[in-house]
Amino acid sequence: MDVRLQMAMVFHLDKCIGCHTCSVACKNVWTDRKGAEYMWWNNVETKPGTGYPTAWEDQQKYHGGWEQKNSQPDLRMGRRELRVLNIFHNPHLPKLDDYYEPWTYKYEDLFDSPEGADQPTARPISMITGNYVDIEAGPNWDDDLGGSPVYAANDPNLDSLTEEERAQVFEIDRLVFFYLPRICNHCINPACVAACPSGAIYKRGEDGIVLINQEKCRGWRMCVTACPYKKSYYNWSTGKSEKCILCFPRLETGQAPACFHSCVGRIRYLGGLLYDADRLLDTLHVPDDKLVESQREMILDPRDPQVREGALRNGIDARALEACERSPVYRYVKQWKMALPLHPEFRTLPMLFYVPPLLPVMAKSEDGLYDTANAELFSPIEKARLPMKYMASLFAGGNQELVRYALKKQYAVRMFKRLDTVGDVDAAAIKRGLEQLNMTGAEAEQIFRLTALPLFDERFVIPSSHREQALAMLNEDMWAEKGGAGFGFRAAPVRGA
Amino acid sequence: MRIHLTRQPIALSLWLLTVLFSQVARAQTAPLAAAPAGPAVSFEKRCYSCHNIGSGNKKGPDLNGVTDRRTRDWLHEYIETPAAFYRKGDPTAVELFKKFAPEVMPDQALTTEEIDAILNMIQALTRKGEVYVPPGAKLARVMGLTDVYAGWRLFTGRDKLQNGGAACISCHTLASAGRLGGGTLGPDLTTANIKYRNPELISILQNPNFPTMSSVFAAHPLSDEEIVKLFALFDHHRRQNPTAQAGATTYDFKFPLLGAITLIGAVVGMNWIWKNRHRGVREEIVRRSRI
Repeated sequence: MDVRLQMAMVFHLDKCIGCHTCSVACKNVWTDRKGAEYMWWNNVETKPGTGYPTAWEDQQKYHGGWEQKNSQPDLRMGRRELRVLNIFHNPHLPKLDDYYEPWTYKYEDLFDSPEGADQPTARPISMITGNYVDIEAGPNWDDDLGGSPVYAANDPNLDSLTEEERAQVFEIDRLVFFYLPRICNHCINPACVAACPSGAIYKRGEDGIVLINQEKCRGWRMCVTACPYKKSYYNWSTGKSEKCILCFPRLETGQAPACFHSCVGRIRYLGGLLYDADRLLDTLHVPDDKLVESQREMILDPRDPQVREGALRNGIDARALEACERSPVYRYVKQWKMALPLHPEFRTLPMLFYVPPLLPVMAKSEDGLYDTANAELFSPIEKARLPMKYMASLFAGGNQELVRYALKKQYAVRMFKRLDTVGDVDAAAIKRGLEQLNMTGAEAEQIFRLTALPLFDERFVIPSSHREQALAMLNEDMWAEKGGAGFGFRAAPVRGA
Repeated sequence: MRIHLTRQPIALSLWLLTVLFSQVARAQTAPLAAAPAGPAVSFEKRCYSCHNIGSGNKKGPDLNGVTDRRTRDWLHEYIETPAAFYRKGDPTAVELFKKFAPEVMPDQALTTEEIDAILNMIQALTRKGEVYVPPGAKLARVMGLTDVYAGWRLFTGRDKLQNGGAACISCHTLASAGRLGGGTLGPDLTTANIKYRNPELISILQNPNFPTMSSVFAAHPLSDEEIVKLFALFDHHRRQNPTAQAGATTYDFKFPLLGAITLIGAVVGMNWIWKNRHRGVREEIVRRSRI
């Protein structure tokens, strides 16, 4: 048993209101720079939709992630020899147009225009060239600026539906959408790390954060193709690639990352997970629809004495273990089985999990009455406006049972509390429902507490950072950073250096 | 970052190799200090590559009567450090440098006595009205029929030179050197035996005293057998075209042309193989949806 510590995340989609505060917080802290204008390390997508960059989930086009041909996973972008051949002309990169051309408005025209018959306007200009542009796409075009027949209809997850189901999704009466905030998943099996020809990308030993060394990066952009989530971005100004760093300078000082801290819906949870690195190949050696469960298997119980012993042997601090025991992520992912990884079939073992959203239900529209009456407790789950297949394609590698379970559990908790506070539901039906899900009332209460009323310190249980121990493990000079504070590069990243 | 030799086997072995080779190089340069005997021999070894006495200018002026034209002191200073003398602004030196440009006479490591002996010999030859005949510039044996081909093999590097010198083709080209020709650092040697008469050419092969050649071949001289073969090759080219203009070089366009064709082919080929790299996903979706 090779116990490792990983900073893991849960996004509770049922609580996300799609306000983009996380994106803006991240943009202000990290990507408000030349060359990074188009990057959104944190972005919020509207589903169904093609997302950012356009159709990023379609690996027929982008060739990201891994594919399992035998016992060893292979990068979908090709073997090493092929990657070397493509090194100058990587054919599967998203174009800037697939992200969007970042723009601002020429506001000074509002003040400096000569007096005339017309009101002056602030025309959009490109943040890259400074020229006037016609805005054709944005990082959240699906939501903000329309174009659903173009974009939503091309959501790759709809491929799992039949023609009839597809048509139903876009019927006017049952139009539906939900939000999907995305950051780097800090995967256990990151494809970007495997693809980097310069050895610039690494997974930090002490907390599993995936980082790009700006001094080693040579801008080959293999990580951009390899990452199936398209969460590595090329900075055209510095000639280096960049990605979400999970605000590690904040984590090391005990603060939540900027996007977590600023989330107004309080949908984000952060905590440590222990996993068994020895089990990696076995975990991946299963069909797509078994990947979620096999990844759960890999996650270890921090209260298990054997796990504790293995963790201590691997140099994981006892205080970090104590934080893992309180980790909200462990509860959502392993204990309650409510949080699911995004696209597990990419086989990177993402460490960001999503609690799937409860959606509005289908209803009969009769005589001007919109009838949502339900015969059974869980019938709203089955009657959700987006087919279960769609959710399973997003969160479970096609395994509908797992999504159904997670949604039923949420619904059961909701009804359990309704019985408590309103009392207009059938107590026996709820009891049966809980039994069906193998859930006790105490657990339902706990889920309710952590979902609806969590305190700041319950949402973010950050293991105290021990950078000095990590440095000592790497045989680096542990005194070199004594007295050091803040962050930043020793030298600004530049092309050719 | 500190480099620990003991922790880095590659760095250690590279360092060892460097030390080893510097020792070998030192050992090889050592025997060169052997001094020649007699002014006729030392003139042949040191001066004859560029100077005649009584048979016309080569790379440098004919030295017939030079002891009458200049003073001994001037000659001594000039021979020891020609370039420095020219930089000092001596009018005669400036005129000579201008006349024989771009050749620059290298500084000569001869003792005062050796210089005097050579100058005495020049004076004696001038008085008698004789022409200098190099004592050593003879072939070791009579050329045979197969020597031309053997010389060509040596020239083109198909056979290695016995003392480890670089093959001629590295720096020189020749009419028969092959489709892509040879190097362009040194002159085209097709007309070598027209530019230089037989003893002059043999002497150059024995003691190549030009600044670039001497630094390359001082430690790796040609053997007598190789000189016969190479001479046979140059002799053959003279017979082939006895009226060729000495020193005329024809610039060969084949190599740059081949380079240009390869480059254009590579650019076109790469753009064809990777033609999909500019294909945009969003553009395609939008285009498809509008139809």
